[in-house]
Amino acid sequence: MARTDTQPSNPEGFLNMLRAEAGRGMIPYLLVTAYALIVTTLLLIDPATSLRTDILFVLFLGVMLTLYKVPLAAGYKLVMAIALLGIAMPYFGTLNPFYMDVATQVGMFVVLALGLNIVVGMAGLLDLGYVAFYAVGAYLWAIFSTDQAANIIPRLADSFPLAPEWFFIFLFLGLIVGGFTGVLLGLPVLRLRGDYLAIVTLGFGEVIRVLATNLDRPVNITNGAQGIKSIGRPPLFFEPWVQALGVPLDRSQLYQLYFYFLVLVVVVVMIVVVYRLNNSRIGRAWASIREDETAAIAMGVPLVRMKLLAFAVGASFAGTMGVIFASKQLFINPPTFDLIRSINILAMVILGGMGSIPGAVLGATLVTLLNLQLLPRVARELSVLDVPSWLDPTQYQRMLFGMLLILMTVFRPEGLLPEDRRRQELHGQDESAMPDTLLESEQQQADVTEPDVDIQT
Amino acid sequence: MALLEAKNITKQFGGLVAVNDVTLTIEPGSIISVIGPNGAGKTTFFNVLTGIYKPDRGKIIFDGHPLVNLRPDQITARGICRTFQNIRLFHNMTVLENVLVGMHSRIRAPFWSIILRTPGMKHEEREAIERARHLLAFVNLDNKRDELAKNLPYGDQRRLEIARALGANPKMILLDEPTAGMNPHETASATKIIQNLRDDLGVTVVLIEHDMRVVMSISERISVIDYGTKIAEGGPEEIRANPHVIEAYLGKGAAESSKSAAPSHPPDPPAEVGRPDPELRSQ
Amino acid sequence: MAVGVDADKKIKVQRSVGMILKEVFGPLLQILIYILICTVSLSLFVVLVALLLRGSREDIDLLQSTLIILPQVIVDGLVRGFLFATIALGYTMVYGVLEFINFAHGEIFMVGAFVVAGFAVGLASLGWLEGFPPLLFVLFAVLLGMAVSGLLAMATERLAYRPVRGAPRLVALISAIGASLFLQDFMRMIALATGLGFNVRVQTPDFGDPLQIAEIPIVGERLAVVSIDSRALIFIVSATIMLIGLNYLVNVTKLGKAIRAVAQDRPTASLMGINVNRIIALTFLIGGALGGAAGVLFGIRFGTINPYIGFLPGLKAFTAAVLGGIGNITGAMVGGIVLGFLEAFVASYLSLFTEGAFAGANYADIAAFSILIFILIFRPSGLLGEATTQKV
Repeated sequence: MARTDTQPSNPEGFLNMLRAEAGRGMIPYLLVTAYALIVTTLLLIDPATSLRTDILFVLFLGVMLTLYKVPLAAGYKLVMAIALLGIAMPYFGTLNPFYMDVATQVGMFVVLALGLNIVVGMAGLLDLGYVAFYAVGAYLWAIFSTDQAANIIPRLADSFPLAPEWFFIFLFLGLIVGGFTGVLLGLPVLRLRGDYLAIVTLGFGEVIRVLATNLDRPVNITNGAQGIKSIGRPPLFFEPWVQALGVPLDRSQLYQLYFYFLVLVVVVVMIVVVYRLNNSRIGRAWASIREDETAAIAMGVPLVRMKLLAFAVGASFAGTMGVIFASKQLFINPPTFDLIRSINILAMVILGGMGSIPGAVLGATLVTLLNLQLLPRVARELSVLDVPSWLDPTQYQRMLFGMLLILMTVFRPEGLLPEDRRRQELHGQDESAMPDTLLESEQQQADVTEPDVDIQT
Repeated sequence: MALLEAKNITKQFGGLVAVNDVTLTIEPGSIISVIGPNGAGKTTFFNVLTGIYKPDRGKIIFDGHPLVNLRPDQITARGICRTFQNIRLFHNMTVLENVLVGMHSRIRAPFWSIILRTPGMKHEEREAIERARHLLAFVNLDNKRDELAKNLPYGDQRRLEIARALGANPKMILLDEPTAGMNPHETASATKIIQNLRDDLGVTVVLIEHDMRVVMSISERISVIDYGTKIAEGGPEEIRANPHVIEAYLGKGAAESSKSAAPSHPPDPPAEVGRPDPELRSQ
Repeated sequence: MAVGVDADKKIKVQRSVGMILKEVFGPLLQILIYILICTVSLSLFVVLVALLLRGSREDIDLLQSTLIILPQVIVDGLVRGFLFATIALGYTMVYGVLEFINFAHGEIFMVGAFVVAGFAVGLASLGWLEGFPPLLFVLFAVLLGMAVSGLLAMATERLAYRPVRGAPRLVALISAIGASLFLQDFMRMIALATGLGFNVRVQTPDFGDPLQIAEIPIVGERLAVVSIDSRALIFIVSATIMLIGLNYLVNVTKLGKAIRAVAQDRPTASLMGINVNRIIALTFLIGGALGGAAGVLFGIRFGTINPYIGFLPGLKAFTAAVLGGIGNITGAMVGGIVLGFLEAFVASYLSLFTEGAFAGANYADIAAFSILIFILIFRPSGLLGEATTQKV
């Protein structure tokens, strides 16, 4: 996403002028570095959980957005990102585990949002049961890393629970099983029109939850409504090294760091994968399907295969994340995977902008912060004010996200960070030599001809 | 050997016989026009050829292979591509991307090579962009390649549809009213492009067209469809003089009077006169 | 509308009473036929399975158990069937005019159930509930529920759907999901704020004992008592009356004609002087009112409600609408009936036949979705819908 060339901004308004001023020479580098340093320092001075730290934490994450938005050298951005996410954040996390957990969850939802973004945003297939694939991954690891698996394969009962080392194999298994489940659901339903697909996936999400609740009989596979406890964790293979270095961290801190970095790696890998897919024949095929299925198939795009691919890739992201989720939480039960979680992820995609990769990241971050920090914070502040308990905002996730979805679709359907199709790396070098005025007149021309087209069709 | 042989094609919608027992043979390297009043079944015939509809009866042999029962994308991969009467571009994609989508069946990079961004995949992608730009230059749109398709003026959109169809590297291209709604200047330039399709790129052209000047000036053979049935076929001069054709366009009286009048007056019917067109309401 | 009305008056042909009767009661006849088909075929099926499995159980006589619960299951099927049918109408009518799935319709239904709960609480606080005539209670509650839900549906359309009408399908659908979620919690907020609580028991006047219809002697000395709960009976009768009313409204009145015109071709309808926005709003009003009435009847029949009950019946009613052929009003009724029967039979007999290994009530949901998927794959036009061809 390197955008080294400083685009001459439209000279309208004071703000833009300022931006143009700041765009010259070293000033933006100094400003961004100073911003990052100040926020980080303030964060580390007093890491205790408080409203002040909450705000600083959000500002800290805001550095990443700034890095994305401001045109700076790619190398600088990379160094800053590594310094902040790879060093400052984990160090802060050892001081205050709560924020570490928030950051890890943000990362997990980023991956889920990226996956759903492929299905909904890029290929235009509304999947309302996305969390089902997450559940499949989570139950996969939960069953095999506990005694639960012995009920299914009694002959090998002795070998369960599996050793922690299996975790890494199950990361890939989660990928494959998730993708496979996606294909399994997709095969029959992807021939359907879009709105039917939404209903069927919604139903599928419910079916998976009902199955998870009821498959404790006749054979106990999922342990029913009680859920599965004591799920296996990945091996702490680096513990001796850390001790050898004399870093005073206990096991729970090590696990926290472990999951943080694991999720960070997965996030980076997934962003690269999605970005590459999007800028290839596959991404173009998805976009064409989203735009006009009939035209797409007439141009030689194999509809069902491409839709299945989108479904499978999206589902495999969720499958992998499910494995990580299960081992991080240690406990899962069916209500963990209810409809509202699918809607949460959908809200992330819509908020950020359908089809937009940075949008999905931003959306996931905002919604997760809203859920984990803003709502509980507001609730706490309200409880001081002696507000009746039925007004507790943490209780009204559905209302909040419902409103968010409506407001976004009505007022800003393209999302906060819309997909920028016109300036892709693919053809970013040679800008169209057309002056803005000409562009505008053409726009008008297009507007004039539009009614004509309408009557024709 | 003929490039395309469509034999006894019949397509019904409920009680309406949209295409009735139409047989059409197309030689490679020719420009053929299919004309007929609105609602005669021309577009339906195109839809059958490109696999969007399955014919109820009849068979289609293209380049020695049967086409019936193939999916539209498979037919495109075999070498038939088309444009749409009511422009169906991918509006929120750039001009270049529209053409690249048209090239989908010609880009082979497998999933893994895309994720790993292998040199082979990058090379193929570069070549694809190169070729797409050639095609855009062919329809005079290369300077607008980074604009969104929806922002193009009407005439450009029609030409972009042709470039997109060419992306699949077709042996035969079906153009559904390529000059509809164009002003005389745009029509002339479009006509030139259609001619070049055959002359420069060697693509066989089949077009549905209402503008008789275009039809008469560039087609080598013309088929006339009325009420789903082929009523005439021949060179421009034959069609011009054919009483069945005149009757179909202007009614029985006109056919009789034109017999007595000089046959050199082309019927040249205005495109919008005719029976109410069920295809118009589609979409 | 003016032009259309005048022209209509001039050329209005006096339709014979017979024709009107046919248009109003014809669909009902179709429903009756489907009820009979479902009853007979499903009953035969379970009896056959019972006979086949008879030897496998020692503790109970499978055939006898099957027969004893059969009448109850059929009544249950009818109630569920009419429930789905009434809700499905809202989906199908909106789909007919807008080609849009109104996700929030399940919540409109749920609000109806809360209306009756609130109504009963209101009456009780005045001390009138005990002695209130049951039928009058039902009538008032249904009318109130229809008004509240209908207006709510209209408001939803105005605020959440109309602004995105020109947008791609996906966008409108997402807005509808938003509306659905919003309404769930909005109702919950009201319920909590007014002290009703999350799980609400719907109080009603005493409806009396179940009506005993017949006693059928089965093998041995046991008698199968065929009875019907009076609330179930009220449900079925009220639903039938509403369906008749709807048929009249859509097939005979001028408003119905306008609705059908808008459903066929919106631009042309608007050229004919029909105020499309008004007709769409009215469609939501009618669909919402039916959903609200279904909610009221549901509340009376089943007694316990919460703000999230709209989701599953809504989903199943949508399945019913698709089953019958979405956009087709008679189809929605028939689809509801068929789905209701299937579900009732799965819920009651699955655990009986599998010795409790599979709890039928839970798997009934799965059965409903499997049906949805199968229909969408093999006959997407539904039982009564016409095959549509893709248009290019």
